[in-house]
Amino acid sequence: MSRRYDSRTTIFSPEGRLYQVEYALEAISHAGTAIGILAKDGIVLAAERKVTSKLLEQDTSAEKLYILNDNMICAVAGMTADANILINYARQAAQRYLLTYNEDIPCEQLVRRLCDLKQGYTQHGGLRPFGVSFIYAGWDPQRQFQLYLSNPSGNYGGWKATSAGANNASAQSLLKQDYKEDCTLKEACGMAVKVLSKTMDSTKLSSEKIEFATVGQTKDGKIYHRLWSADEITALLKEHDLAKDENAEDK
Amino acid sequence: MSSPFSINGGAAVAMVGKDCVAIACDLRLGLQALTVSNNFPKIFQYGDVFLGLTGLATDVSTVSDLFRYKVNMYRLREERDIAPRTFANLVSSSLYEKRFGPYFVSPVVAGLDPKTGVPFICGFDSIGCIDFAKDFIVSGTATEQLFGMCESLWEPDMSPDELFETISQSLLNAVDRDALSGWGAHVYIIEKDKVTKRLLKGRQD
Amino acid sequence: MYADHSFREILLGITGKDFTLMAASKAAMRGATILKASDDKTRQLNKHTLMLYSGEAGDTVQFAEYIQANAQLYSMRNDSDLSPSALAHFVRGELAISLRSRKPYNVNLLLGGVDPITHKPSLYWLDYLASLASLPYAAHGYAQYYCLSILDKHHHPDITLGQGIKLLTMCIDELKRRLPVDFKGMTVKAVTKDGIVDIEFDDDKVVKSA
Repeated sequence: MSRRYDSRTTIFSPEGRLYQVEYALEAISHAGTAIGILAKDGIVLAAERKVTSKLLEQDTSAEKLYILNDNMICAVAGMTADANILINYARQAAQRYLLTYNEDIPCEQLVRRLCDLKQGYTQHGGLRPFGVSFIYAGWDPQRQFQLYLSNPSGNYGGWKATSAGANNASAQSLLKQDYKEDCTLKEACGMAVKVLSKTMDSTKLSSEKIEFATVGQTKDGKIYHRLWSADEITALLKEHDLAKDENAEDK
Repeated sequence: MSSPFSINGGAAVAMVGKDCVAIACDLRLGLQALTVSNNFPKIFQYGDVFLGLTGLATDVSTVSDLFRYKVNMYRLREERDIAPRTFANLVSSSLYEKRFGPYFVSPVVAGLDPKTGVPFICGFDSIGCIDFAKDFIVSGTATEQLFGMCESLWEPDMSPDELFETISQSLLNAVDRDALSGWGAHVYIIEKDKVTKRLLKGRQD
Repeated sequence: MYADHSFREILLGITGKDFTLMAASKAAMRGATILKASDDKTRQLNKHTLMLYSGEAGDTVQFAEYIQANAQLYSMRNDSDLSPSALAHFVRGELAISLRSRKPYNVNLLLGGVDPITHKPSLYWLDYLASLASLPYAAHGYAQYYCLSILDKHHHPDITLGQGIKLLTMCIDELKRRLPVDFKGMTVKAVTKDGIVDIEFDDDKVVKSA
């Protein structure tokens, strides 16, 4: 029955559903987990890397964490190829705003620009929706630190802690359990690795398997964002006793 | 009506030292003989590369904003800063795009090669022809005076401190003989992993 | 080309501790004739930004209202106002595009405001070439030649609104003394963190020439 409705993105099923959008959401639920936690003095984004073959060229660039702008970064859950299109779009939108107003684009506006594009693909026919959810972390002078989540339907919302991708439901409930109002960025980082260790398949983590990024404020009030190096991630894992034993490299 | 290059006034200069470069500009913005602002910098920083722009003030703003856009997109895409030589070619091709309706600016680029640390400076005409130089590049309404000052003060292999003194004296004394530039200066000394920015007061008349 | 009357139109702006004071002459002129003595050369862009304009008749109001509409559209779409700085750069961009079009707008502007977040006052000077400068005090037209030197001597960044009005009166008295034509008094407004307020200004004061 559903065959009549799911081959076109633009058509509602009799139950009022858009199957293509739901399939996109399904695709994301198989992708590596990504989580974001808002602290009082910053934001942490963490993501699980799915492909870790020894043959894979390990270049410096992150696979799931991207810089959108001077004031914003994001984590990707879903199809990386689709994400690249959207990220390029977001970067151009942000730079165009900077060119017109000589100010960084407010976080919510950038999120909304992306979501308007995503929404378009759920309505105009012949094309499939983008198979990606984003978790955005950013800062602007009006609303300070902010965390957003958007999905293929073009819906978005602001969060204190959120997750996307595989085991998303359990990650969400863990975050709900552990989240403390007014936690510091350092505490949030600890919480992020703990949640990831529980939602990922292996209990012992390693720096090849996760990516980490933070948005924060330096002592002189400047906003920074930073992708963590492998060593920094390993140090954090060791601190929380979640690092994989170096000697037992092969399972 | 006077040339668009000399309505607003302004001067910029770049110099090479030993393992360092310097770039400096005045701060005046005027309308013919009337000074409107004495805080209009003409040097713009894009990562480790510096761009000096003199000429029509509106185009100084337009062009500097445009290169901020282009360089930011470059950095996000390539995940590294742009190199001075690459940037010089970007400036050249961007200006030539407007061959038959040019921006009325005379750009100057200065920086150190990110890999080798070799000093790089160059200048352009308003349609993007690059002028590579081993010693110094001057631009703006005080070019004649700057050429004279640089020609007599510049010498090869200056230390950062000597370079600062040389470029500052060259600029300050050049703009004092030009009615359309002056009113203070910005000087950048660029060394490997270190950039020093100094504000010079200069004559306020 | 550049109409002489726009040089006789007066735009003045002065920033102080927590305000930006803006004033524009009331005369609308065409050639040697004064057409109107109650012309409003101001447009409010949003709660805390005011724009003054002078230049070619037709261009001025057309351009000012285009900017005003865009500022208000932004406020409606985003539930927040553009800062004076953002607006100044937006206006500059629009003027710069116009400059290289078939028929450029011949408009000179002063944009004054108070930042909605930091509450810092600011003043932007823009000419028809789209040159932009952020200044503590500014003027357009012949007023520049008479007033800037007075302001150079007497202005301080931390003056109160009362002191600002006194300073403005000094400037306008000098214009009345020196300009050959009556400019029919001034519209005076102050931008503060609470919004834009009209300032009562005595236009009937007679200043005798030296």
